[in-house]
Amino acid sequence: MSVQEDIGGRPLPPGWAAPAHQPGAFELPTTTFRERADRTMARPFARKAIAGATDHAAALTWRKFEGVDHDALRDQAKQIRAHAIANLPDYLEQWIDNAEGNGTVVHFAADETEARRIIAGICVDEAIQSVVKSKSMASEEVSLNSALEGVGVDVVETDLGEFVVQAMGDRPGHVIAPILHRTKDEVHALFSDMAGEDLPNEAEALTAFARAGLRHAFLTADGGISGGNFLIAETGEVMLVTNEGNGRLTTSVPRVHIALVGIEKVIPRRRDLAVLLPLLTGHGTGQQITTYVSVTGGPRRDGEPDGPERTHVVLLDAGRSALLGGEFEEALHCIRCGACQNVCPVYRQVGGHAYGWVYGGPIGAVLTPLFRGQEEGGEVAQATTLCGACDDICPVRIPLHDLLLGLRRQRDAEGQAPRGEQLSFAVWAAVCSRPRLYRASTAVSRTALGLLAHGDTVSARVPGLRRWTAGRDLVLQRTSR
Amino acid sequence: MTDRASFLAAVRSTPRGHDPGLPDRGQAPDAPTELRDGEARIDRLVAESESVSAGVQRVSAAGVGDCVAQLLGSAGAIRIALTEDLGAHAGAIRDACEAAGLDVDDYASVAPDRARAGALQATVTGCAAAVAATGSIVTTARGAGRAGALIAPTHICVVNEHQIVGGLHELFDGDVLADVGSLFALQSGPSRSADIEKVLILGVHGPGNVQLVIVED
Repeated sequence: MSVQEDIGGRPLPPGWAAPAHQPGAFELPTTTFRERADRTMARPFARKAIAGATDHAAALTWRKFEGVDHDALRDQAKQIRAHAIANLPDYLEQWIDNAEGNGTVVHFAADETEARRIIAGICVDEAIQSVVKSKSMASEEVSLNSALEGVGVDVVETDLGEFVVQAMGDRPGHVIAPILHRTKDEVHALFSDMAGEDLPNEAEALTAFARAGLRHAFLTADGGISGGNFLIAETGEVMLVTNEGNGRLTTSVPRVHIALVGIEKVIPRRRDLAVLLPLLTGHGTGQQITTYVSVTGGPRRDGEPDGPERTHVVLLDAGRSALLGGEFEEALHCIRCGACQNVCPVYRQVGGHAYGWVYGGPIGAVLTPLFRGQEEGGEVAQATTLCGACDDICPVRIPLHDLLLGLRRQRDAEGQAPRGEQLSFAVWAAVCSRPRLYRASTAVSRTALGLLAHGDTVSARVPGLRRWTAGRDLVLQRTSR
Repeated sequence: MTDRASFLAAVRSTPRGHDPGLPDRGQAPDAPTELRDGEARIDRLVAESESVSAGVQRVSAAGVGDCVAQLLGSAGAIRIALTEDLGAHAGAIRDACEAAGLDVDDYASVAPDRARAGALQATVTGCAAAVAATGSIVTTARGAGRAGALIAPTHICVVNEHQIVGGLHELFDGDVLADVGSLFALQSGPSRSADIEKVLILGVHGPGNVQLVIVED
């Protein structure tokens, strides 16, 4: 019996995927935050959808923890993460020993280039010609798909949202909801084009179309590539959560499983999941638990009916170890739930792409300068209001607001702020620390603004303050003298 | 190429941050994924399973076979496979399914051929445990296999009442996960996605139809 006939699956049409992003081809160095943000702001659907979905997710999260001591639970989670990161070398070593004991082949990638080379090498060595991929932000960091295509491997993203992202040549717009910024109409047009016929414009029919192609991919792929939500030190296992089931199929059906996981994902024990799992899922999607929680410990063993013949785990450093013990270490506590994005007043307007690299929202504004450097990534740490909503919702209580302030100070100390900004703050400091000069400056400003005012309101674009005044009126309070 | 020693050396070369130690975890955390005081396990499991769109049947040991065959009939499944973790119920289920004219195989004999496994219309599995507070079925590589619970569009899972644990704490602290093989997994209701404009769709890659058959003690 052929795969095609009996399971409703069918091969994806040739050339369905957009070309993979080349390594380092991020927008960060070539565009400004404002330019990227403007693109999303110009799409009314995206703005409405992002705000609507993030509101919904945040409300579900708070509701999920009603009736329990949410703060105490988060304190425990913070403690587990802080303990694991403070002892990272030991737990990492324990994890490696146990994983190797399970038959996992462990690889070590110091940076993105090495991760790409290792995984491409595994594909060559294992004669892998096609892979199915389960959503992994780490693989976005290293632009993995282009490395695979470089050695002639066909790649299929199997998370529904990531599949759309891959077909469009887009990038994920949210850590856990990759096509939050896309409309059903856009997906309909894309899939109809792929199908060569006008599909019904309904989410159910569109999902069924994707399922058939992805089903075929699962049943024919040589390899499966996933990320990992946690590495469990005491057992050498990798934990993965998904709702669609693509994570389990990716790690279990093809003959080789490869996982790419950041070293900071280590936790000491399975029992720590009783604290971390409800927080990851509750803060991620507002679910009691995700539909599938899969904990894998190496390849298929004797007596098991299915599973991969070989399992490889690639541990990724890529800037993580440099943060240990320093001012920004707590950024490594992140469990990638995406809750801080949902409550961030900036993210909710501009979406994930504005951040220019892989991660958006407050955690993206922290990780981008840390992993890409201040020169390239420093600007996004400015793209926050410092309102602290991210601190309030973080399930592991990362003080994101303090980290953002620290990154702003660091940018200033490194002299990476734009000249104009440096100059204006130097002038401001000079004026404010000299009372006479300050008084004189206010008199001058009042006179100048008076000239631009109509009645009590300045609606004009004030030279030098165009960005500020373009969308705001300035109301003058006339003092009686 | 970075080797283990130099990779770990980089991780060790930085000063250590503050270590608050591990929290005292003698008792269950106060979390939504734990049983509440005075709650009966079976009742919570039923409620949570239904809230994630899984069907639930409660039967006596004598009624398992017929119940499973009936569920398969309603699902329109003909090509089905049974996994090894059905234990004492396996015989009765097989008999009832064969009597109903279904095409019954062992999952272990089907699984090596991906085309055959992919063509299954339903799988019937046991479990290592069920978690009341999350509505989850816990399967293992040794029992239901790694993909046995989600390879087909319908999954029927037989849960013995005594296998129900209260919450995640009891699951991870107990000994049910002592010998799981290369995987253990929790699955809670049908496969789902809301990627397209937040519209919830069931049965994306895994089963759209999940049924628990709870065998009462």
